[in-house]
Amino acid sequence: MEGLAPIDGWALAAIIAKAAGYAAALVAMGGPLFLAAFRSAPDDVLRLARKLAVIAALIGLAVLALRFGIRAARISGMGPSGAIEAMMLSFVWDSPLGTAAIWRGAGALLIVAVLIEGTIGIVASLLGALLIAMSYAFVGHSLGDPRWILAVLVVTHLLAAAFWVGALAPLHRSAANKDGAALLHRFGIIASGTVAVLVVVGVSFAWLMIGSFSGLFGTAYGWTLIVKICVVTGLLGLAAKNKLQLVPALAANKDDAGGRLRRSIRMEVVAVALILLATATLTSITTPPVNL
Amino acid sequence: MKQIILALVATLAIAPAALAHSKAETTTPANESTVEKVEVIELRFDDPMRVTAITLTGPDGDVEIMRETGLDPVTEFRAMPSAIMPAGVYSVDWRGLSADGHPMQGTFSFTVAD
Repeated sequence: MEGLAPIDGWALAAIIAKAAGYAAALVAMGGPLFLAAFRSAPDDVLRLARKLAVIAALIGLAVLALRFGIRAARISGMGPSGAIEAMMLSFVWDSPLGTAAIWRGAGALLIVAVLIEGTIGIVASLLGALLIAMSYAFVGHSLGDPRWILAVLVVTHLLAAAFWVGALAPLHRSAANKDGAALLHRFGIIASGTVAVLVVVGVSFAWLMIGSFSGLFGTAYGWTLIVKICVVTGLLGLAAKNKLQLVPALAANKDDAGGRLRRSIRMEVVAVALILLATATLTSITTPPVNL
Repeated sequence: MKQIILALVATLAIAPAALAHSKAETTTPANESTVEKVEVIELRFDDPMRVTAITLTGPDGDVEIMRETGLDPVTEFRAMPSAIMPAGVYSVDWRGLSADGHPMQGTFSFTVAD
């Protein structure tokens, strides 16, 4: 298939590590966004959002270090020993991933400030979320043309995705609370706006990468994107069912509405994991059709 | 869900055909060509590439090559075989880091005939 790089064990390891990095970044960014949007949520829900954001930020740093090792091993051609080869690591550090690592590292440290209650903690951690989102504008396909438009699109896409992904665990907790329906209902209202933004900027970015229908159906990038869009469509279906059926059922105290909603949110998590794997595949081993 | 996983696995399993993040590079000797002697091994890229590893393998195993190009990113990479290459099939395997930070790799082969 056109535009597909060689795939070996290292490439697969790189894809899985990148997807894990995406997940960590989205949960870390999503924590402060959730706290800012739902400051009056129950204490246990807010505590969970804070805890997860910090854990995800720290895991994100570990994954970043792992990705440096994987990349050094790949370019060294030496196998596992290349992962700790100083010269190869210095080449990775000098590459766009090094620049991204500085922004992502600074962002992750600022996310830890989410543990400070009050405005300072929120503002610092929101800044951290912005830095992490911006770090993705310094690497890979975002470096194409038109550079600034791609950068704005990718940062917006990531923040909108983080608002959703970072809210999943707190919402899962809320669905078990007696009076959680109000929070879930409010999330549904805000998300209907942010998800629309997420989709519009995602489609715009994809169009700038593809440029034609033949690019969509004739290339590895196009087919991987189609897989991603299929899973995203399924996720949107789940989200619509939650908003239109399960949350109103929870509000009406219907039998097992909370349990069904929690199951549905867990399925959303599985769909998100698949989307992140498809995205990591897209950004690791395929060439955007406009570059072919 | 199973179909989605199958589709993902299928996408990953399809045999690689082209290089990601760079238009197909041209080489000297050309891929699958037959030559009488090899004075230089060249790789040409559209965008600067930092070639981090390169090996030349022939009928008698690895052949030592001297890099003329250093480790800086280049659009034209050159290396010389350090000895006369006997007849046989040779392959060049290289790794590199592209300008946008993607790890790259490629391979090409050629035949040296008497």
